[in-house]
Amino acid sequence: MEKYILLCLVLLAAPLFPGIILKTKAFFAGKKGPPLLIKYYTLAKLLRKCSVYSTSTTFVFRLGPTVGFGSALLVLSFFPFGGVEPLFSFHGDVIALFYILGTGRFFTVVAALDTASPFEGMGAAREVFFSTIAELTIFTVLILFCRINGSLSFSEYFLGDNPVSLVDPSGALLVLVIVSMFMVMLTECSRVPVDDPATHLELTMIHEVMILDHSGPDLALIELASFYKLFFYSAFIVHLIYPFSAGAGLLNGIIFTTLMVLIYGAIGVVESITARFRMNLVPQFVLTSFALVFFAAILTMGVFQ
Amino acid sequence: MIESVFLFPFVMGLVSLAAPAKSSRFVLAGTAAGHLLLTLMIWHASLSPLYPAFFTAAPEGLLILLVTSIIFVAISCYAFSYVIETKMAHARVFSCCMMLFLGTMSMVALSDHPIVLWIAIEATTLVSAPLIFIHRSKQALEATWKYVLICSVGIALALLGIFFITLAMDLGNIAGPLTFTSLNTVATRLDPVWLKAGFVFIVIGFGTKMGLAPMHTWLPDAHSEAPSPASALLSGALLNCAFLGIYKTHVLMNSAGLGDFSGSVLVGFGLCSMLVGAVFIVGQPDYKRMLAYSSIENMGIISFGVGIGGLALYGAFIHLIHHSLLKSSLFLSAGNILLGFGTKQAGRIGGIIHSLPRTFVSFFAGFVGLCGLPPFGMFVSEIMVVIGAIRGHWYVSVVLFVFALILAVAGCGRVFMAMSFGEATTAAGLGEKPLRFIPAYALLLTSLVLCFWMPETVYVTIIDSIKMIGGIHG
Amino acid sequence: MINFADFILVLILLSVLLSLGSTRLMALVKIMALQGVMVSVTPLFLNSHEIPDGGAALFYLVMIFIKGALIPVLLYWAVKRVSIKREIEPIVGYHASIVTGLAVLLGSVFIVNSLHLSLPEGRSFALITANSTLAAGFFLMMARRKAITQVIGYLMLENGIYLIGTALTKRSHTIYIVEFGVLLDLLVGVMIMGIILNNINTAFDDIDTTLLGQLKD
Repeated sequence: MEKYILLCLVLLAAPLFPGIILKTKAFFAGKKGPPLLIKYYTLAKLLRKCSVYSTSTTFVFRLGPTVGFGSALLVLSFFPFGGVEPLFSFHGDVIALFYILGTGRFFTVVAALDTASPFEGMGAAREVFFSTIAELTIFTVLILFCRINGSLSFSEYFLGDNPVSLVDPSGALLVLVIVSMFMVMLTECSRVPVDDPATHLELTMIHEVMILDHSGPDLALIELASFYKLFFYSAFIVHLIYPFSAGAGLLNGIIFTTLMVLIYGAIGVVESITARFRMNLVPQFVLTSFALVFFAAILTMGVFQ
Repeated sequence: MIESVFLFPFVMGLVSLAAPAKSSRFVLAGTAAGHLLLTLMIWHASLSPLYPAFFTAAPEGLLILLVTSIIFVAISCYAFSYVIETKMAHARVFSCCMMLFLGTMSMVALSDHPIVLWIAIEATTLVSAPLIFIHRSKQALEATWKYVLICSVGIALALLGIFFITLAMDLGNIAGPLTFTSLNTVATRLDPVWLKAGFVFIVIGFGTKMGLAPMHTWLPDAHSEAPSPASALLSGALLNCAFLGIYKTHVLMNSAGLGDFSGSVLVGFGLCSMLVGAVFIVGQPDYKRMLAYSSIENMGIISFGVGIGGLALYGAFIHLIHHSLLKSSLFLSAGNILLGFGTKQAGRIGGIIHSLPRTFVSFFAGFVGLCGLPPFGMFVSEIMVVIGAIRGHWYVSVVLFVFALILAVAGCGRVFMAMSFGEATTAAGLGEKPLRFIPAYALLLTSLVLCFWMPETVYVTIIDSIKMIGGIHG
Repeated sequence: MINFADFILVLILLSVLLSLGSTRLMALVKIMALQGVMVSVTPLFLNSHEIPDGGAALFYLVMIFIKGALIPVLLYWAVKRVSIKREIEPIVGYHASIVTGLAVLLGSVFIVNSLHLSLPEGRSFALITANSTLAAGFFLMMARRKAITQVIGYLMLENGIYLIGTALTKRSHTIYIVEFGVLLDLLVGVMIMGIILNNINTAFDDIDTTLLGQLKD
């Protein structure tokens, strides 16, 4: 029962956290900033409207947002938030999940290409390129965890006998993983310095340019999916930092929420103090994240056997 | 307290910074005299170390201290006139750095703790850097940058070598203090592998400073771009100090029974430096650079002799003394020529015998000495090294050694002859002043005298310094 | 419990890798400040059972101050003065540099494992970190054109050597006054390099070391 309630809570709370990023950025800019609940208002506004479809698009265009949302939802149901058993879990689910996320992206890209707008094609190409290199990092992380922990499922990573965490004797290496996952998160969730969701010029956009033609409820689904994705990556990092032992219910919840707030705050800080990279520097950024994880992988073989 | 011999120049150097610019050259000359006095007091063993854990009056150190001190007296007399005549813009900084340089070199000579030795050698780099770029020309800046960076990195590797020796101590479970003196007594218990590794790093590190090829690349630039008194000091005194670091470790290796290994390494580096130096001397258009390459070659001879041991080792020490005297004298003469003709290109200078006759005497006499001809001391020392090498059955090395010497003599001869007797060009610059040629004469005379009559105490000190590795008959 | 020594060493490795990949000189200076502090406190955590006495505590404070504040401030001034913000055309590109960083780490792991030293717990990881730092410092000096990056490379090299000393030797040899001398040399070295840098900048209008190629045979 607990896990159903928790998943519902997560699904409801996910749009709250991006408000923290906006608040942090506003603080750095010396402004008051939008209210914390701004994302709910936006979603509500979008859901009230109806979608407009171009006559030149096909059913593929309509499929994109739905599949993207579905994939994000599915991923959350496999994740043990705050040490609570996830809804589903099987051996090797991590690989499946990252590919499900990939499927979501595939449909978003296909939908963008379906509009036949030159800008959207450009954005799609960039998105696919960057996430391809980011995938390298993610799968190296999985290999590394497999070496440390010997399993291939989220619930065993964080709830098993030998949880992956910073507090472990060989946990120092996870500093590298945490930093690189943070970098991957910025890439995958289209945050500054890789991408700027608030930019005005189509030429410099990556993710935003792909969804220019979506409107109303479709756009709401896309937004919601991106909140879930961000929530998933943040939760992943939180679990690396602190090991949640099962059964400590409320305390776990409080710690989890605090750490999540801190992670989102960190994103806000990064977005405030860095400028967006030029497009040719992004691969280097992603490559650095890969190098960090590879560092950790080498070290597990060399020292921390 | 023997520490006063380096503390005194430090204090005077700082004083000269505070004193008015015009008096700084008097402070410089006074410091040189005081330093010589202190050095002689140490030689008479009337001073004892205040911190025996760090400093000691080891014979090889004393020898280098004395050479440094004598050269510095001559150079300070030269600089006394040089600073005024060239209207040097930063005379105060120049004097201060000269004195600090003297202080750090004295500290090297007296150090017994490896890391203190390292600190002192690194400090020589830092205080001599301003001397090289005192003219602020583009070439001088380039030379200084290379000097500081290459030497700092090289010396950093020597620190690594010292850490390896410390590790060798730990692995041998030796609890005593970390000084060369005490390490020599327990050397056989040191871990041989790490000791070897430490020695290689120390040779590479201090060898960079000493100008051993192929780590010599900074040396010709720095020596040719520095003002002549500073070049004389760099070549005549600084290279010896770096050599001291290598020599002390070589002694340690010998005490540990690894003398063959360290000897071969030194012979290898020595031959390499000789050949590189000789090859670059041939066809060198810049006479100051030629002198610098000659220093590389001579450092090669010293390293070669030390590596072989026995008579060659004694020869190497004699060579060290005479090289310092002759080379600093030559750099001072070269300074006069540079002031007189205003160019460092040998091809644009001719007929020194007519235009600068007094400088000609010291310049040409220096050349004769540098070529290893009698009556100067390098003749004796090179013969000793060759005999020592033949006794030790290093036949191939001897052939290479002699080949490099001939090449160097040929290269030097061409330049010196053309400059001295060639078609006369006018010397438009400054003329000759007694203070600028007497020091060069004095240094040459010292070399001449030492060749025929060596004071008993100097001889005993040399024998003491090489006693640890088998002495003169080893 | 969390292993602080490893934690700090990992942070040093992180700083090494980031410095290889960073394009901006200011970022490099900040990374060096972080690395300086981490390197200074490493001995404290490697020997955590020993409580430092008064002299040692003072030494570590001075060291943190010099490596973490004084030297970075000097570098910061130098970067400000020469008003060069980034390395435009490194000799070895950034992607290649990062890959080199990986190779360097792989190499140091291999070297340390094949040495078969019986080091105390945690020391072999320190040695790996030290080797990587040293080699990366060397690489940075060779692979970049700007003189200031070479100074930073030299600092990294020096940090690596200090770490090797920490990892390899027993603390019983440490005489703080001697260590302080080494530190002072480093500080003065950076100051001298800064002064020369400034002069190079005024003379050549740049600090590109490829301009420094007039003296040769």
